[in-house]
Amino acid sequence: MLNEYLPILILFIINIAFAVGIIIFSHFLGPRKSSAEKLSPYESGVPPVGDTRIRFSVKFYLIAMLFIVFDIEVVFMYPWAVIFKKLGLFGFVEMFVFIGILLIGYVYVWKKGALKWE
Amino acid sequence: MVPLSHFLILSAALFIAGTIGVLTRRNALIVFMSIELMLNGVALSFLAFSRFLGSLDGHVFVFMVITVAAAEAAVGLAIIIAIFRLKGTINIDEINLMKG
Amino acid sequence: METMLFYFFAFVAVATALLVITRRNPIHSALWLVLCFFSLAAVYVLLSAHFIAIIQIMVYVGAIMVLVLFVIMLLNLSEKELGDAKPTVLKFCGVILSGIFMVLLADGVKVLAPQAAVSVDEKFGTAEMLGRLLFTDYLLPFEIASLLLLTAMIGAVVLAKKRR
Repeated sequence: MLNEYLPILILFIINIAFAVGIIIFSHFLGPRKSSAEKLSPYESGVPPVGDTRIRFSVKFYLIAMLFIVFDIEVVFMYPWAVIFKKLGLFGFVEMFVFIGILLIGYVYVWKKGALKWE
Repeated sequence: MVPLSHFLILSAALFIAGTIGVLTRRNALIVFMSIELMLNGVALSFLAFSRFLGSLDGHVFVFMVITVAAAEAAVGLAIIIAIFRLKGTINIDEINLMKG
Repeated sequence: METMLFYFFAFVAVATALLVITRRNPIHSALWLVLCFFSLAAVYVLLSAHFIAIIQIMVYVGAIMVLVLFVIMLLNLSEKELGDAKPTVLKFCGVILSGIFMVLLADGVKVLAPQAAVSVDEKFGTAEMLGRLLFTDYLLPFEIASLLLLTAMIGAVVLAKKRR
């Protein structure tokens, strides 16, 4: 069973070696001539305005938070889908109740306007 | 196969690393991440016992732990954001009043 | 081979865990934590917890850590706001006591005789076996998990949404 993970392990090793190799190569091979013009942040050719460290909007957080909750919901559906035929109607009702409860939350979030971007 | 005690020591080491993080750090976000570390240490010992006893119940527990961790992440981080809006800091030493 | 892999990933997990709790910048902490979760997933695979290992990567790394990084960028703390000034006596005590606790735990673990693992069949830890248990014996916890997620969703929206 563990042998099936061998490709993943090899992929990891190649990835790490590639990433580290590229960084080392560019460090040694790339010429470094920095000027004030080069170091300034690039904003489509317009002279930079203000600080780059602006605060994100909380809307991003709300979307990511909803993503987590529905991600977990889908994770619960994987084992259910695998044995769905064995569970039959019982399994269908189980998942119906589960999704039904989460749907209440979805409707609440929708009515609250958390999904609107504005 | 690696003996059970080694898995448990790894799990204990992760749990203790999380505890030290919670006790010594003052940044609420790092405290939050330390709690995640502790949860993972516990999950590891569940899985180790599950494997060595040949019963899958531990896996269901870990599944639930991960679910709780996700719910905790959603609410806990929302609380951190709310506190930051109210107080302008997430240093947990400065957040010692129940009243805003 | 298996033993070697275990010690390698265990070392990475502990080393990155220590990096998580010592870095000053929360973004560095979060990225080390991602590596820690990855190596833990590898340890889970060695325990033939195949499904849990995937979930670990999908949920922890793919969702929870993304949310943590979002919040770090949302707050965008300046150098001054990062806090964590000089180590105090209290913190030192915390580290010492945790160390003692660790020694006690490791000592307690020795009492459990190093038992050999029972042999498990090929399907141990797959989504199929886990599902069979989750949707029959653990049906009630499964349904309650949905209530937990519902409260988490509503709670987070109430806390994070701007008042009008």
